[in-house]
Amino acid sequence: MSDTTGRSGIDTQAHRRAPRRKKLFRIPWGSIVTFIGPSLFLYFLLIIIPVGMTFYNSVHILRMDLGMRREWVGLEHYAKLLTDDLIFRMAVKNSFIWAIFASVVDIPFALFLALILYSKLPLTRLFRISWFTPMLVSWVVVGFIFRWVYNYDWGVVNTVLRGVGLDAWVRNWLGDPQTALLSLMVITMWKFVGFNMVIFLAALSSIPDELVDAARIDGCNRAQLVFRIVIPLIRSTAVNLLILAFIGKMKQFALVWVSTRGGPMHHTETVATYVQNRAFNWRTLDLGYPSAIAVVWFIVILAFTVLFTRTLQRREVLEF
Amino acid sequence: MKRSVLKQAGRWFAVLLLLGFTLLIVGPFLWTFVMSLRPTNDIMENAYGITWPPYVKNYVYAFTEFGFAQYIKNSVYITGVALIVTTVVTAMAAFGFSRTRFAFPLREFLFLTIFISIMFPPQITLLSLYEGVARISRALAKLMPEVEWRFQGSRESMILIYTASALAFNIYILRSFFSQIPQDLEDAARIDGCSDWQMFWRVIFPIGTPAIATTIVINYISFWNEFLYAVTMITKQKARTLPLAMMFFAGEASVDIGMIATGLMVSVIPVLILYLILSEQFIKGMTAGALKG
Repeated sequence: MSDTTGRSGIDTQAHRRAPRRKKLFRIPWGSIVTFIGPSLFLYFLLIIIPVGMTFYNSVHILRMDLGMRREWVGLEHYAKLLTDDLIFRMAVKNSFIWAIFASVVDIPFALFLALILYSKLPLTRLFRISWFTPMLVSWVVVGFIFRWVYNYDWGVVNTVLRGVGLDAWVRNWLGDPQTALLSLMVITMWKFVGFNMVIFLAALSSIPDELVDAARIDGCNRAQLVFRIVIPLIRSTAVNLLILAFIGKMKQFALVWVSTRGGPMHHTETVATYVQNRAFNWRTLDLGYPSAIAVVWFIVILAFTVLFTRTLQRREVLEF
Repeated sequence: MKRSVLKQAGRWFAVLLLLGFTLLIVGPFLWTFVMSLRPTNDIMENAYGITWPPYVKNYVYAFTEFGFAQYIKNSVYITGVALIVTTVVTAMAAFGFSRTRFAFPLREFLFLTIFISIMFPPQITLLSLYEGVARISRALAKLMPEVEWRFQGSRESMILIYTASALAFNIYILRSFFSQIPQDLEDAARIDGCSDWQMFWRVIFPIGTPAIATTIVINYISFWNEFLYAVTMITKQKARTLPLAMMFFAGEASVDIGMIATGLMVSVIPVLILYLILSEQFIKGMTAGALKG
């Protein structure tokens, strides 16, 4: 080891050897704990511990009706869930259909509306404010109002259909296994169209006019402008909304619970409502099995989020 | 000339279509509002008529017989306190996570641990929270049976649960905002002798008001309308929040359409009125975080 002690006896090269790092005793721990502590505490108590407990419960049978009696069963729940549970399969199918529908129908439709308003249409402000209102009300309210809208005898849909002579199309929308899920998907579309549109409009507004003008000068027609210029520029916003819509529908609970409870015959059952039914409305109030469902779904949603983020989101920053 | 007239006509046609679409969006609300001011018999004869003079007895019944005042009080209490607690707790945490002064090893890791909870489906915590609260209640009842514990399904436990549900989002938004506050501001305040605590309350919090207002709006809507945790954890009828009360109320009133419509309006009017006054803030707040990549 070379001796860096100079003539003065002081080690003059010490600062080169030691890594530059804040000394641990210099860090204001008191303040850090004060500020971050409460959040961390709540997070640990109400999120981390329950998540852990859910994982733990998923390998047990936990009978609520027998005074919380616990019994180890290993991976039995998971095995049954993945091989033998038809309702679960149906719920998964419904959740995926819902999520895909939202991504493929809701989002492009909202973009379409935003593009129309983007061309400086009058009354834009009125449209923004009024289309956003469904976002303010709870799913319970939405569920009840639309039960009436879909009512067979006097609901809006059927009244209109009868009024224009399309009596053959009249249905019991929420009670017919063929149309129930679709009817619900229309409701979620109704709820979020304002939200998605407003975000798209904001993204569109952030495109500098010079770019659009330059494209026009270069001879772009309307269609080319939209598909080659505008849409790529708002890509990250669109992807964000897509992910939000997809994940949101995979978690859908409240609307189904209030309007159909998963009926008719599980045709609107989602994974979330199935967990709820299984935990609280089953013959045996076992918390273990629904915990296993929750764990599986947790992993599925995480996987999809990561998948979408990795594949759809580009890291590059568009400079303009 | 011809082209621009056509274009103008096209634009007005588009406006007309969009107005029709607007009717589709707000129609359900208008219909419910009208129905809330009609006796159910009238509604059953003609669901789309109007009763004049308006039948306000439904609203009176809602508050006297069906006790909506209590449910409104519960929602206001839970949402109000939860908003205060959430705002303070998350702003403090965002402060700690954003300023360079507070950097410590693993700070980023800790932040990410909180942030990933944004992806969790609620069931992963719901079931165990239910179990946990049930166990604690049983233990408390055994330990001190004379005391009437109001823990299970209590409003206070809902406040904590709602706060926890908002941690990830709030801290994420606020941290990103706070980290953009220039260091010079902080340095200047320190030279004047500011402590960390004062720095937070006197400097960061006031400057961060736009972002904090954003989180308050989002949290307000989400807490006020929250249903899943409420329906699972709240067991006492007296502690019910509005969404929950609405569901049970409609179950009881079942075919009394006018009455149910009234209940729905009572649930919705507080938020709607605030929205009409502050619509831009609501829209900005609720769409924050979804805009950029």
